[in-house]
Amino acid sequence: MRNSKQLIVGIIDDDEAIRESLHLLLFSADLPCQVYASADEFLSRTDAHEFSCLLLDIRMPGTDGLELFRILQHENAPYPVLFITGHGDIPLAVSAIKQGAFDFLTKPFKRGELLEKVKSAITHCENQRTQLQSRHELKQRVDSCTPRERDVMQLMVRGLTSKSIADNLAISPRTVEIHRAHVMEKMQAASLPALVQMLTQLRSFPDEKDGESH
Amino acid sequence: MKTIESESNPFFDALMDAAVDAIIIIDGKGIIWRFNKSAQRLFEYDEDEVVGQNVTVLMPEPHRHRHDEYLVNYQETGKAAIIGKGREENGRRKSGEVFPMRLSVGETHVDQQVFYVGIIHDLSRRKSTEEKLRALEQQLFHADRLLTLGEMTAGIAHEINQPLTAIAAYADAASHLLDKNTETTDSALHDICTRIGEQTRRAAAVVLHLRELVRRGASKKALQSIINIIKNTMLLFDYEIKKHNIVIQIVSPNNLPDVYVNEIQIQQILVNLVKNSIDAIVGEGRNQGRIVLEIEELKGELRLSVSDDGPGVSVEALPRLFEPFYTSKSNGVGLGLSICKNIATAHGGSLAYSPSCEGACFILSLPLSSIG
Repeated sequence: MRNSKQLIVGIIDDDEAIRESLHLLLFSADLPCQVYASADEFLSRTDAHEFSCLLLDIRMPGTDGLELFRILQHENAPYPVLFITGHGDIPLAVSAIKQGAFDFLTKPFKRGELLEKVKSAITHCENQRTQLQSRHELKQRVDSCTPRERDVMQLMVRGLTSKSIADNLAISPRTVEIHRAHVMEKMQAASLPALVQMLTQLRSFPDEKDGESH
Repeated sequence: MKTIESESNPFFDALMDAAVDAIIIIDGKGIIWRFNKSAQRLFEYDEDEVVGQNVTVLMPEPHRHRHDEYLVNYQETGKAAIIGKGREENGRRKSGEVFPMRLSVGETHVDQQVFYVGIIHDLSRRKSTEEKLRALEQQLFHADRLLTLGEMTAGIAHEINQPLTAIAAYADAASHLLDKNTETTDSALHDICTRIGEQTRRAAAVVLHLRELVRRGASKKALQSIINIIKNTMLLFDYEIKKHNIVIQIVSPNNLPDVYVNEIQIQQILVNLVKNSIDAIVGEGRNQGRIVLEIEELKGELRLSVSDDGPGVSVEALPRLFEPFYTSKSNGVGLGLSICKNIATAHGGSLAYSPSCEGACFILSLPLSSIG
C-alpha cells in the first residue's frame, strides 16, 4: 500500500454465510476487510474505515445494492464497486456496469477470478487516489498564487513572452518577471514545459467539480 | 334344535331370495339359522356350509374373537352397539378376503327365543370408486404443486446456491490458510469446518423440503406446529421477497396447539396464497409491499389469515374466485385456489376470502379436534 492510511475491502451482503466466507477468503489472500449486513448498516457506520473497493450484494432487503450504488455515485465515493450476483441477476449486473460499476462476481465464486477482480479494483482505486492526491496538491499550489500571479501563469502557459504578458496586463515587464519567478517557485515547476504539464493534468482530470477530494 | 325352516312360508322364502342385500339370521348365541342367496354370493359360502356355524366365521379380527362377548353384553345390559343404528364394517369371505359392507341389525323373538336379523349391503364398489376419486384428487394436488414449483425455480435455485457459494468460499479459504501455514490456528480451521457443515445442512434442508413437495401421492396427516410449517414454506420465497422488496410478517400468539394436518398440503395452500399476494403486488408495478400471516386460536379452530397490501380481488372476480379454471392471471391455469379450498375442506376446515381488509385477505380455518 502506497498510502499511509490502510485501505480495506468492504463487503455488504445480507446473507451471513456469504459475507463471512467471503471475508475469510479475502483474509486468506491477505486482504483486510470489513463486513456489513445491509446497505443501511453501511450508510450509518461509525467506523473510520477507508475502502479500496466494495463488494456489494445486488439484492438485499431494505435498501438494495443498486440503490446503495446510486447513493455512493451521488456522493462521489472514491472507490470502485463490485456487485455480487446470482446467475439469474446477470442482466441486472450488466446494466449496473453500464451505470459505472467496476465489475461483478457471480456466485459461487471462483477464487482466482474473485481475487483477480478484487485486486484489479484495488489497483484502480489506488491509481485514482494517487491522481486525486496529486491533483489536490497541484490545486493547493495554484491556490497559493495571488490572483495577479494566476493571470500571469495563464498567459505564460499560452507561450507568451514577458513583454506580451506585460502588454496584455498593462503592467511593466519587470513586474511580470517578478510574478513569473513567484509562479515557478510556488508551483514547484522546474521549467515552463513542466508547468504546462501540471496545468494540463489539473484540467484533464475527469472530474472537474470541487470538493470531491478527501 | 328347532328350525326356522319348519315354520317358514313361501312368502318369507320369496322375500329372502329376492333381496339384493345379504340377509343372515342368527340366534342369541351367534349361531347362523338362515343365509339367503345374496349372502351366499357375497360370502362365497353355500347355505349348508354355514348354517349351524357361529356367525364369527364371516368376520375378520377383531370382531371375530369378540362377537360372542358382544352378544352376552347386549343380552345382560340391553345396551346396543349396533342394533337400530347400522354401521360400516368389514366382512370376511370364505377365501379370507376382507371387504367393506354396511350392516344393519334387527332383533326379534320367536317362542321366547331371541333372534337377530342382519342385512348386509356390499360397499366394495363404492369404496373403490371413492379410492379412485381420492387418487385423482391427489394427482391434481400433485400437479398443482409441480406447476407452482416450476414458477418458483429461480427462487429455489438461489436458496441452494447461497450455501453452496459459502461452502466453496470456506473451503478455498481453508486450503489457502493451510498452504500458508502461518498464524493459522487449528481452532480457526475447526471453525471453518463447522461452518461448512452448517451450510451443507442448510442446502440439504432446502433439497429435502423440495423433495417432499414434489413427492407423489398422499402423505399422512400428523400433529404439526403451524408456525413450523409457515417458516419452512416461507424459506422458498426468500429470493422473490428480496427481489421485489416485500416484507413478510408472521403474527402469532405463544403456545399455539398443534394441528392434525397433512403438512405438504397445508404448505401447498400457503405457497398458493403467498404467491398470489406477491404476484398481485408486483402486478401493480410496485417495488415494495407487505404480506401478513396472522394466526389465532378461536373456538376450537386455528385461523390463519394471509393478507397483503396489493389491489385486492376485483368485484367481477369475487363470485368466481374459487371456481376451477377461473383465473385473472394472463399465464394462470386457474386451479390454485380451487385446489386450496378442496384441501381445506378435506381437512374439515375452510378457505374463504375476507373482503374487509384493504388488500386481499384469505382466511384458512382448521379444526383443532379433527384427529382421526
